Amino acid sequence: MSAMFDLSPELLKHGQAIKDWSTTEVRPYAREADTRHAPPDNWRDILDLCTVAITRHDRRDVPPPPHFADGKWIRELHVTESICYGDIWVNDVVGQGIGHLTVKLMGTAEQIERWYRPIVEKGGVAAFGLTEPHFGSDTSMVSTTATRDGDTWVINGTKMYCSGGSNADYVVIFANVDKSLGPAGIKAFVVPKGTPGYIVAKKNEEKLGIRAWQTSELLFQDCAIPLDFQLGWRGDDGMDAIGAKDQPSTRSGRGGALGALAQNKPNISAMGLGIAQASIDMTSEILHSQRLGFTPRRWSVIQEDLARMNSALDRIRRVNYGAQWLLDRGMPNKSEASVSKAFGPPTFEKIIRRCMMLLGPDGTSNDLLLEKWYRDSKILDIFEGSAQVQRIIIGRTLMGADAGRG
Amino acid sequence: MFDLDISDETIAVVSLCRALGMDVLSPSAKAAEGASAVPDDVRRALFETGLTTPVDEKFGGGGCPSTQTRFAAVEALAYGDPGLAMAAVWSGGAASIIGAVGTTQQQEALLPAFATDVHAHGALALFEGFGRAPSESATTITKSADGWAIKGVKVAVAGAATADPMVVVGTDPVDGRLRLAVVRTGQPGVSAVAATGHIGLDAAKLSTVTFDCTVADDAILGGLDANQDSTLLAISHNRLMSAAAILGTAQRAIDYASKYATERIAFGKPISAFQGVSFLLADASIRIAAARVEVIDAANRVDVRATGGLEARTTEAVNYAGAVATQATRDAIQVLGGHGFITDHPVELWYRSAAALASIDFDPLCSSFEPSL
Repeated sequence: MSAMFDLSPELLKHGQAIKDWSTTEVRPYAREADTRHAPPDNWRDILDLCTVAITRHDRRDVPPPPHFADGKWIRELHVTESICYGDIWVNDVVGQGIGHLTVKLMGTAEQIERWYRPIVEKGGVAAFGLTEPHFGSDTSMVSTTATRDGDTWVINGTKMYCSGGSNADYVVIFANVDKSLGPAGIKAFVVPKGTPGYIVAKKNEEKLGIRAWQTSELLFQDCAIPLDFQLGWRGDDGMDAIGAKDQPSTRSGRGGALGALAQNKPNISAMGLGIAQASIDMTSEILHSQRLGFTPRRWSVIQEDLARMNSALDRIRRVNYGAQWLLDRGMPNKSEASVSKAFGPPTFEKIIRRCMMLLGPDGTSNDLLLEKWYRDSKILDIFEGSAQVQRIIIGRTLMGADAGRG
Repeated sequence: MFDLDISDETIAVVSLCRALGMDVLSPSAKAAEGASAVPDDVRRALFETGLTTPVDEKFGGGGCPSTQTRFAAVEALAYGDPGLAMAAVWSGGAASIIGAVGTTQQQEALLPAFATDVHAHGALALFEGFGRAPSESATTITKSADGWAIKGVKVAVAGAATADPMVVVGTDPVDGRLRLAVVRTGQPGVSAVAATGHIGLDAAKLSTVTFDCTVADDAILGGLDANQDSTLLAISHNRLMSAAAILGTAQRAIDYASKYATERIAFGKPISAFQGVSFLLADASIRIAAARVEVIDAANRVDVRATGGLEARTTEAVNYAGAVATQATRDAIQVLGGHGFITDHPVELWYRSAAALASIDFDPLCSSFEPSL
């Protein structure tokens, strides 16, 4: 069989319906969401207007998104791009976070049944807390602690940049159970909403972009959870679980964290595809209405520019679909996901920036959304691993563990 | 002869402006953006330098520095904050061009206020978008029965609603020459749309102005036989000020990120130890160095009145500086990572300001879109 890059007509139709909805119903709220640093109050009504089934973590009475022959992860890429085409604010209210993906990778069968299945089958939000004020890329620096106290773990520490941290059903956080073990002591824990000592220190950061997303700082102060809320807990003595060297790598604290992040990396690129494509389309339309203002030579250069931008986005889509196709077949895609994460985001910024400039001073005005999308786009090359960190991963796949050490 | 010697005057100006930028502009940047206005103490401090609104001594001002000296001044001020620096420089744009091109009568009538009144501000209605160079202005200034008719649309006019006077750049369709017309506040047929934010230059109050008006003969700057070279030089001088500001911004962003990189520890060492970080900043620094000498070269050509090819050189220099600075400011955020994306650090403001500045005098012929990889 030869390689095929076309999505199924069914998935394309599904995506088109989402894109139409996002353009007509979501985009009109983009400026407001940015200004008030929160989604519009009627976001649930806006989601209700979508003509096809999308993820609803706020409602239990709607059908789940349909299955397509293309595969679940491929569907997610196409749906994410289509959702963000209107504006990226809505992705935060349809998004479910990635905490449950961590549960699936690191949890025991019971834990998966308890915390993963309800999220994917009935909706809900599962936040993820790894980053702390003093570290991001180097996840060995976790300083939040989990201390064994009888039948509980007592969590203390601060987590930053937790998407959905203020409204999640639970947050999966990473804490060190024994600092003498170094990074090997880092384990993952499920902390349900409402647990005493789980404090939302800051609901939302003041950010350059994606201002409507709730990016929270969480504080854990003597926050006690049962022993079996440690992911991978096998019901034996706590100390064994901590020190166990026979756990497969996906069960170890950071391996699981990074595994959950890796699966989601191409979805980050898909968000950028949405706003970058929207930028090209919007710019193209405005420019055509102003065509007579340009000299023929400039007009021709602009047309070439726009064509090259569209080609760049198609190239990015192929890379993303390739990475998630592997996942849909149960194959590892660690390096491919890193390629995807490193490849798209810097180009999205360049596309949106160029679009603004082609429109001259009007391009950066608050009257258009391009300036917002330029601000929004910047995070895509930062969260869930910058292009610099992805290069370390890709380099190590090529050259072994010493690659990128200096 | 090749000579990069810097005058004592320029050295003194840079030292003054760097201090002013860091001590006065930088701490006020966030509040000024929030209020969409230049705070009074900042306005006064900038006014007292005489560098943002240059007025000749004979009209009570502090004198008109050379383009090179003013480049250095604006670059240093923008190192503090580009939004406040350019709000001041643009408000002095009219004074600068009247001083360079105006007749003695025009200068006597218009310049003394700029030398004495801290709140006096004019505007230069220069840009039109569409990648147009000034000589390609679609705005026309045409002799009519009762004076001169001005017709056209100008964009990114700073403080247009209250500027007095506005100097409009247009072309004379009869002979194709550039003309400058002085338009006073309240002139019928001039309408400025409400100023909108431009991603990072809110304090400068940029707006679009539509002209469909007639002014008297004596409103033509420099008279009907205005020196064409002086006009070209004065316009280039003003365009190069944006390049100065954007390079000051880029340099500040890179310096800030470099310091951060030496302090932030990851994988057991400062992140500056990683080539992915240090080479990113080094590349930005290399491009800034190249852009600076290109702009300084263009500034020197203005100072020695070398008009040959000057407009095209100015366009190239301004556009390269814009490309360099937009990339440098994004790279600075990249080095700070998540911390660069929140307003606790000022790099996000520089990212926005650089994008706004780079879009104003942009010509698509100077570059083409290239994907990152």
